[in-house]
Amino acid sequence: MAEEEIQKKSKTEAPRIGVFVCECGSNIQSMMDVEDLTRYAKTLPNVVYAEHMNYPCSRQGQEKIIDAIKKRGLNRVVVAGCSPRIYEAIFRRCVSRASLNPWLFEMANIREFSFYCHQKTPEEAAKKAKDIMKMAVAKARLLEPLQPIELPVTKKVMVIGGGIAGISAALDLADMGFKVYLVEKTETIGGHMALLDKTFPTLDCSICIEGPKMVDVGRHPNIEIISYADILKVDGYAGNFKVKIQKNPRYIIAANCTGCGECRDACPIEYPNPADMKLGVRKAISVPFDQAVPLIYTINKDYCIECYKCVDACGARQAINFDQKPEEVEVNVGAIIVAIGYDMYNPEDMECYGYGKYENVFTALEFERLILAAGPTAGKVIRASDGQKPHSVAFLQCVGSRDINRYEYCTSFCCMYTLKHAVMLKEKYKDDVQVYVFYNDMRSNFKGYEEFFNRAQKSGVNFIRVKLENRRITEDAETKNLVVYAETEDGKPVKAETEMAVLANAAVPVQNATELAEILKIPVGTNGFFVECQPKIRPNETDTPGIFLAGACQGLKDIPFTVAHGSGAAAQAASILGKSKWIVEPLVARVNEDLCSGCGICESVCSYDAVRIEEIGGKNLAKVTEGLCRGCGICGGACPVGAITMPHYTSEQVVAQVRAVLEEVK
Amino acid sequence: MPLKTLKQDTAETLTLEWVLHVRNYKLTLNKNLCVGCEICALACPKEAIRLEKQPKALGVKAKHAKIDIDLEKCNFCGICDILCPYGAIKVTVTGEHILSVVEKESFPELIRDIQVDTSKCPVDCVECEEACPLDLIKITQLTADGKFVENIDSLTEKEKTGLQIKIDIEKERCPCCRICEFNCPKGVLQVRKFIHGKISIRPEKCPEGCTDCLDVCPILGALYLSDEDEQVHVNEMFCIYCGTCKVVCPVDEALELKRTMVNHTPVHSGAWNKALERLTSPVEMTKELKTKGSLKARESVRKRLGWKGK
Repeated sequence: MAEEEIQKKSKTEAPRIGVFVCECGSNIQSMMDVEDLTRYAKTLPNVVYAEHMNYPCSRQGQEKIIDAIKKRGLNRVVVAGCSPRIYEAIFRRCVSRASLNPWLFEMANIREFSFYCHQKTPEEAAKKAKDIMKMAVAKARLLEPLQPIELPVTKKVMVIGGGIAGISAALDLADMGFKVYLVEKTETIGGHMALLDKTFPTLDCSICIEGPKMVDVGRHPNIEIISYADILKVDGYAGNFKVKIQKNPRYIIAANCTGCGECRDACPIEYPNPADMKLGVRKAISVPFDQAVPLIYTINKDYCIECYKCVDACGARQAINFDQKPEEVEVNVGAIIVAIGYDMYNPEDMECYGYGKYENVFTALEFERLILAAGPTAGKVIRASDGQKPHSVAFLQCVGSRDINRYEYCTSFCCMYTLKHAVMLKEKYKDDVQVYVFYNDMRSNFKGYEEFFNRAQKSGVNFIRVKLENRRITEDAETKNLVVYAETEDGKPVKAETEMAVLANAAVPVQNATELAEILKIPVGTNGFFVECQPKIRPNETDTPGIFLAGACQGLKDIPFTVAHGSGAAAQAASILGKSKWIVEPLVARVNEDLCSGCGICESVCSYDAVRIEEIGGKNLAKVTEGLCRGCGICGGACPVGAITMPHYTSEQVVAQVRAVLEEVK
Repeated sequence: MPLKTLKQDTAETLTLEWVLHVRNYKLTLNKNLCVGCEICALACPKEAIRLEKQPKALGVKAKHAKIDIDLEKCNFCGICDILCPYGAIKVTVTGEHILSVVEKESFPELIRDIQVDTSKCPVDCVECEEACPLDLIKITQLTADGKFVENIDSLTEKEKTGLQIKIDIEKERCPCCRICEFNCPKGVLQVRKFIHGKISIRPEKCPEGCTDCLDVCPILGALYLSDEDEQVHVNEMFCIYCGTCKVVCPVDEALELKRTMVNHTPVHSGAWNKALERLTSPVEMTKELKTKGSLKARESVRKRLGWKGK
């Protein structure tokens, strides 16, 4: 029989409902008499067949359902079992294999709603299970066949954030053949990784391994870097996003800038370089670091005195334009990957450590810039107080993190970077430096990490296990040396005088992450990181179809995990971009144009901008953008004339369910 | 240690600082030297300097305005240091007074043109030292073998004739008012002003008995109270057009001050053009640009046609 005919039949024919009660191993059966439930099902109107079985979701179970549909001529199916969240999709596919429209299936959740929550009162639970089944059957009677909605897909993708997560995602997608817009807030891609000296546990030079990837991004024919830019607005839905971006003025004409640096040499003005953690300076016209991609200079007008020496130096290249204005661009993409990374917590408010007060207390990233050969001190680890190399350095772990008053979570990579710093110091200065690590738990639980911990121990680093509470640092006013006080796990006080202290400060969500989340309509967790769809099995997806997460913005991770997460997000995005059509469930609002008065109440209540009033044939009418509608039904409820219906949740169907459950009450 | 940005305001100085791990940028305003003129505030490219007028109490002399510098806006470029006629501001980088804007030729230096020919000095003359309103001149007498003379009156006339006279002038602080030049009986000193302009007071607009401008004028003699009409008049010969008077003048039209030119080392710089425009006027700035342009044209013609002259 052709599908259309079947559907026509299922619309016109009287409902013939089959009910399948799940025993769910011992879950449901142990408490309820499934025989009784099956008998009850048979008494319900239009139910022509009912049976109970163990695991209808299993292959054999599904075969039995298909068999029953065919043999008994069922045109509606109800499964009384568990949560539709996971299993509804399986049963829909199952009934469609028996040539039944998948939307003629209904699920009665008697496990979560009655068995799980009423374990102490089995009789009541059974009664409730019957009610739930009765409601499902009442709705099934009125189910209508629906067709999935197909939407076109723009085969381009946007990656927000050009750190190592964004770089990985962008390169993977570009290699698959998709056009990638890589949007970066700062002047250059590279993120935190570009600021590091070495990477653990191999002590590879960080920029030496990231640099080539950055260059690949810059040269890839499928990647367009939009740097020094902000995301203003995101409209649309999976397959069809429209993103408005503001390119901030660099006061440089990108096409003319050769990156030669002659302007920088001519510039008289310096300002603290954020890429150097403001330990060093950069010129008012400069790049944050030499390996910047794209290699385009930027004038910082906050500091520039407009002497135009750079203009003279640039000469015939004419790359400088002091009148440049912010520029808005709009791009269409099929998917978005969010990879905005993290910020570092400023521990100045933790007075016990004296950061910001004592000159020789540093944060880890500051230390990283000190030991980096291309850093402001040319790789010399020197004290701020006297410019001398310290003979002893204390590292304090978990500053701000694993602290219920600040950041409860573990930052996850500080143990390892501290080991890296300790080993680098020991290998650089040998016995000329004493290194103390005040830690609580050493978390070295991935490939090669524990071995690296052993290497640190062998290299002569002193590891002192202490409580995280009651640690403090004081300064000797004369020598500017620091005294670290702590307490061992069994309460014994320990102290060490060192010439420098380095704090492993927490990594925290990016400052304006919440703003971006609002623009993208994706949820933010209580800890400030973006929330994935499902923490175990869907770590790259958000609740918004077509928007994916990559790297530390979803939760802190170190470089290899970030790279893998970026590639994961790329694969997820490709699963949309690779399709010719994006299929959406037909659970979107429908407008009855004859009833609609164009009052606009629906538009005002919709949270997703999915309903708009448009002039159609000289009449104002509500129009639903199917890709945006989440089928929440708020517009339907608000419509004063009942012009909006929610397929599969029509008023008729819902009222029938309510009537069914209240039948006995009256 | 994170970047520290510091601002300290004491009775003597106002200090602004960026303390970086590798460098230290420091601006020091010596309040004893600051006269509250408007030069730095006008010239600052970041508009970081603000003049704060001081309230005036009845029967007390007017006080000059105080300056305040915004730490958020200041970029330690040193332009205020360069232009302060009184040498009240110093900008240093890690203790060294080297101004990158001058080194990179993105800002000129003022030309304090002071010529001294001590061979003409009478041995016991101290006129210039006594005349200097800012106490910047120190005269010493040296014997033929280079020894300081402690007390000139103890010497005989014969001994006096062999003496060498040395005039030390604190040039960095000198506003070039020319008072020393005019007080010198022998024409030893020749001073050229570095700011030129025009100043006039309209006594009819002055509030009765107001001498605020005179009260604050740091150049004794540039303004004076006339015996005839008991009002303040200008001696344009000595005025250096710093604007201290204008800042405190309570009536808009009573005192008119216009700067027309600043004598500076040659430079080709947008920052200077803008500073000059604010210090003088767009018209004067354009004049300087035109002069520079015609000099440049003349130079290039000379270069190209120079062989003909040979």
